Amino acid sequence: MKKYINPIGAGVILGIALFISFIIAGQGMGASGAFARATAQIAYTIDPDFANNAYAGKYLKSGNALINWTVIEVIGIFIGGFISALIAKRIKPEITRAPNYSKTKRLIFAFLGGVLVAIGTRLARGCTSGQALDGAAAMSVGAWIFMLAAFGAGFLVAFLFKNQWKGFK
Amino acid sequence: MDVVFPLYTSGFLDSTTNLWLALLIGIMFGFILERAGFSTSAHIAPLFYFRSTLVPKVMVAAITTTATLIFLGVVFGYIDFNNIFIPSTYVWAYLVGGLIFGVGMVMSGWCPGTAVTGVATAKIDAIFFLLGLMFGMFIYFYLYDAYEALREFANSANLGKFTINKLFNTPDLRVAYIATLVMSFGLLAFMIVMKKIADKKGDE
Repeated sequence: MKKYINPIGAGVILGIALFISFIIAGQGMGASGAFARATAQIAYTIDPDFANNAYAGKYLKSGNALINWTVIEVIGIFIGGFISALIAKRIKPEITRAPNYSKTKRLIFAFLGGVLVAIGTRLARGCTSGQALDGAAAMSVGAWIFMLAAFGAGFLVAFLFKNQWKGFK
Repeated sequence: MDVVFPLYTSGFLDSTTNLWLALLIGIMFGFILERAGFSTSAHIAPLFYFRSTLVPKVMVAAITTTATLIFLGVVFGYIDFNNIFIPSTYVWAYLVGGLIFGVGMVMSGWCPGTAVTGVATAKIDAIFFLLGLMFGMFIYFYLYDAYEALREFANSANLGKFTINKLFNTPDLRVAYIATLVMSFGLLAFMIVMKKIADKKGDE
């Protein structure tokens, strides 16, 4: 397994990539929006009435919700992550958790955490990428409200989930 | 001379090309996230216990780099700041959304972007996180449609495109830029000090 690169160096390169995104597309890189759109598209396929949903309807108005900048960019994230991990020989099926922690409990927390993250992103119009990183880089106040609230809440409730990560550095 | 950047929103790029470039930009993003070690929750969760400064280091370096480049681009007249997309600031929704997001993040050890690279490296917990994420989206769509109160709350206190300089009642972007540097390096300094304190306390 290859070593990871220096965090500051990674951040500077990430910053340059984000800048490229801004000067080409006029927007930063996102992630949560793609999953909101995918969910809307799936719901619509099952039940076409979903096109009238007060929130998801706006995604479905112009036809396929998946023909969208962020959706395609997220497919890119998967490809890029896969290429990097392949080169570094880091592809290995596993459930990340503390050595003796229950696998079932870990997967339940991963799922429930995902549910909360989704609701958080809809209220905040984005996640760590599309809101915190992009917004802060574009000098927006909202990004800091979101980021400080997210970190603050994380620090406050972290003790509840400590056993999942015990032994990690 | 016309201001040409951003290319797409200034009308110098057609939407098909813009979508193809989205794929390339995503590949860069995913590659860097994986290189930095964000493809495993083992490197993200310790953030919340002040056991690691990886996440704040990467984020602060990225935010300050991009902000500097955008600021210089605007000052020298290459970038039209009005054509840069910045989500509108909805004060209360962002605050509550951030709190819920933070709890979800420490519970799961993932956020949406890092989880995509997690799936790319075959992390089962990342797959469960993304399934939960989509289920959560569905719940939100349902609640948003069903409850007027949620719609009102989510769209209340909208300040529009609200850069930090507007907080000080000035159109001067230099104020926003300096404040961004102060906030970013302040956050990083806080995290480094907290980790030192946590290290001293020893392993719990």
